[in-house]
Amino acid sequence: MLAVTELRLVGSPEPDDLRGAETAVYPDWEAVYEDNVVGIYQLVFRRVGNAADAEDLAAEVLMQTLKTLRLPAPVHNVRAYLVKTARTVLADHWRRHYAAQDAAAELQQVPPDALISPHNSAAAERAERLLSLLPDNFRRILELRFLRGYSVREAANELGVTESNARVLQFRALRKAADLGLEVLT
Amino acid sequence: MTDSPADRVARFVDDLLHGRRPRRFDASHEEVEAMTAAAGFASARVGADLPSKAALDRIHGRLAAALDESPALDRHVTRRMLLRTFGTAAAAMVIGVALDEVATRQGKAPVQGGDGGSTVLMPDGGAWKPVASITQLPAGHAMTVSTGAIDAIVVNDGGSISAVSGICTHLGCKLQPDDPGKKLDCPCHQTAFGWTGKVLYYRLKTSPPNLPQIPSRVNGDQIELFVV
Repeated sequence: MLAVTELRLVGSPEPDDLRGAETAVYPDWEAVYEDNVVGIYQLVFRRVGNAADAEDLAAEVLMQTLKTLRLPAPVHNVRAYLVKTARTVLADHWRRHYAAQDAAAELQQVPPDALISPHNSAAAERAERLLSLLPDNFRRILELRFLRGYSVREAANELGVTESNARVLQFRALRKAADLGLEVLT
Repeated sequence: MTDSPADRVARFVDDLLHGRRPRRFDASHEEVEAMTAAAGFASARVGADLPSKAALDRIHGRLAAALDESPALDRHVTRRMLLRTFGTAAAAMVIGVALDEVATRQGKAPVQGGDGGSTVLMPDGGAWKPVASITQLPAGHAMTVSTGAIDAIVVNDGGSISAVSGICTHLGCKLQPDDPGKKLDCPCHQTAFGWTGKVLYYRLKTSPPNLPQIPSRVNGDQIELFVV
């Protein structure tokens, strides 16, 4: 599998350690950083949707972890800690910038094993699955916008509705998608 | 001017789709829900959620700066070690070359290794989409284009137009055309691909897969790619 190949390139932890992930240990910060910086970036990117915020938040998660983590520590403990820190940092982001009081509840849906999941980069597949669960008009507006990159005006033309209606349709479609379960997108 | 929740969320989505940091505002619970879903969909674009080398560089720089300000941290980590870390930073758990997954979803086996041939991306529901005017791409040049779900590189090799994925098959870094060398360089791990997508060299223990090819054609004066 690709996974094993990639991990061998990194050198630490060794693939053998990962098979016995219960006992694998990060000896130092270098190993923690190498192994998780991209995963943390992806995890936060999927919850803010843009590179500028993702970069700030990923740096913040690593910074907080760097300050508090005592090493050596078991790999799964460190990852659980990183994910927990990411949740806090994300909740704080939504609270500070969008006055969201209850974002924390939404973010509880970041699964504790988010950094280990082999499906970590299958965002496209998950989005597709979620789209397929939506009613036709909701699915179409989201496909036009997010997959084809249409502007609201272009999407409205395509759907034969006003721009204002297209915005309302998009809003409802996104809320419906959120209702159907963010876990599909984790 | 009055803004409805739908307007504010639409603006948020616009910012995401244009790769901008979204504007801040006081949002209702419903708006936050919708925006979170939008963030998930915006990440679905192939390679969108992978950091650029520049972003990793800056993250690393911030951590290094924090270490400078706080010598006590040296108990856990020396600055030199962190600097050493950077060369291989884009590593490990990312795995899953995003384009491999696209290929797999289309029912094709992912390519294993650089000598294993190339995948051609023929997405279901794809369509020919103009990406550039032929006048923008003189012979002997390659250019990066972005369309639909794909970052691609279009090549004009002596008048013959072709296209490959613009994302390195190793860790998803964006490739940079090197026209004089007739190759596409990955800035992350000193890997390079030829204009046909074939791996030229790599500084990894195993060869990354060749770049998937993207069907291309010239229609009038437009270069078109077959993409979702």
